[in-house]
Amino acid sequence: MENFVNALVSGLISGSLYAAMALGLTIIYGVSRVFNFGHGVIAVIGAYFTWYLLSNFGVPFLLATLLSMAFMALFGWLLYRFTINPLLKKPNWEFSTVLFMLGAGILLENVVLQIFGPRVKSIPLLAEGALKVAFIQINWHEILLIVIVLVAILALSLFFKYTRTGQAMRAVAQSVPGAQVVGINIEQIFGMTFALAFVVTGFSGILLGTKYYLNPHIGWEWMVKGFVIVTFGGLGSTSGAVVAALILGLVEAVATLYLGAIWVWPIWFVLFLIVLLLRPQGILGGRA
Amino acid sequence: MLAIKDLDSYYADLQVLRGVSLHVEEGEVIALFGPNGHGKSTLLKAICGLQPPKRGSIQFKGEEIAGLPAHQIVERGLAYIPEERHLFTDMTVLENLYLGAYPRHARSAVKRNLEYVFHIFPRLAERRNQLCSTLSGGEARMVAIGRGLMSETSLLMVDEPSIGLSPGMKLAVFDAIRQIHQERNMTILIVEQEIQHALEMSNRIYLMKKGQIAFERKGEEIQVEEIEKAYF
Repeated sequence: MENFVNALVSGLISGSLYAAMALGLTIIYGVSRVFNFGHGVIAVIGAYFTWYLLSNFGVPFLLATLLSMAFMALFGWLLYRFTINPLLKKPNWEFSTVLFMLGAGILLENVVLQIFGPRVKSIPLLAEGALKVAFIQINWHEILLIVIVLVAILALSLFFKYTRTGQAMRAVAQSVPGAQVVGINIEQIFGMTFALAFVVTGFSGILLGTKYYLNPHIGWEWMVKGFVIVTFGGLGSTSGAVVAALILGLVEAVATLYLGAIWVWPIWFVLFLIVLLLRPQGILGGRA
Repeated sequence: MLAIKDLDSYYADLQVLRGVSLHVEEGEVIALFGPNGHGKSTLLKAICGLQPPKRGSIQFKGEEIAGLPAHQIVERGLAYIPEERHLFTDMTVLENLYLGAYPRHARSAVKRNLEYVFHIFPRLAERRNQLCSTLSGGEARMVAIGRGLMSETSLLMVDEPSIGLSPGMKLAVFDAIRQIHQERNMTILIVEQEIQHALEMSNRIYLMKKGQIAFERKGEEIQVEEIEKAYF
């Protein structure tokens, strides 16, 4: 019982980190239908940028995070403007953007490797100590992580619901010609979407870097998890990604407890295949 | 208000519009007839920027707009109501209408235009919080037209508004368009297969065949037989 409850708590923690990580992927796909195969490396870059500011310049954590988010926004926008935008005008853009982002991911991974070397890094904990309630013990750091992710998800959903740009992003996601006839500048919204998604993804990389370790290659593992999560939840659906991430986080924790960590991937993929067979559009996806 | 000259347009290598010229004056209702697949929708899409033409000139309020991106054309006060509607189906009626007021110049008039849309289509006021995916075909058509009105437009281009609707709903849609013309002195360019209904409200008509304007008629010169004959 004790172990089971602790596993649920730890599943909740990793689930919310996965949710944060998958959001950027599903936002880009939802609006632009580009499947970002460089997603994991983007998260790694956000984390390394923050780590660099923290450890080399002693910048306070909050400021380092803000600077890193600003950097990611600019990075996302520039990448869209100068690479994705011209590719989207080609007839076979779906395939070329996938290959391009995959190649960009490999390139960026090696840039990170050249600059920072292969040694493992980690971002310091946000808080020390632990909360103890009866037999449950949770680190304050991890409680803080869950709170941060919840606040971030809430902020994002308010942004999509109430701001002009957020509404325009949803409009483009639902109908590109519809968005054009009401006067939405599609290219501008795509650019803002890449900026937003890179901010969210970089931010999730920072959070992951405080709980797990960082190296230049870890992004690929994160990305595969992100792929499973967004497909499981429904491609392009943000609420689907959050629900899927929490389910898979809990499954991971419980499977690790009773069967051992090597069973996590097989069980994930069996669940994944079952969902794809029963609901090809994902648990909360709108269309197949 | 709108003057089109020698417009050529292509789908890949296939030429769809061949030197189309027409004009629409302020306050007019112009009907554009012609068999399916002869370029009527392509012409509207060329005007509104969804599918830019290859050659030729489109002047709107004296400014050249051919080849501009769609959002810049909407901002100049030209609204296009697509035949396919292209609603935001996972949003409510109200959210769709508000997005219709996305252009900068439309934002200050949101309240007035929303009241007007609800005045023309009281049914939309009842369904304002309903998701568009749950609307009937007629109601969805009303949202599409309402969304166009929200953009504070001076020219409304409507592509086959009655297609796929029940006879009663067709009448309601035509009545609404006529009402918009009368109450707001709206300039309207309408593509329609229901010749009789469209004739009742139009000042002038063009007939399009094989990507060209076959003839233009106005007032008493208009003969239903001549139009119908052109379809065969």
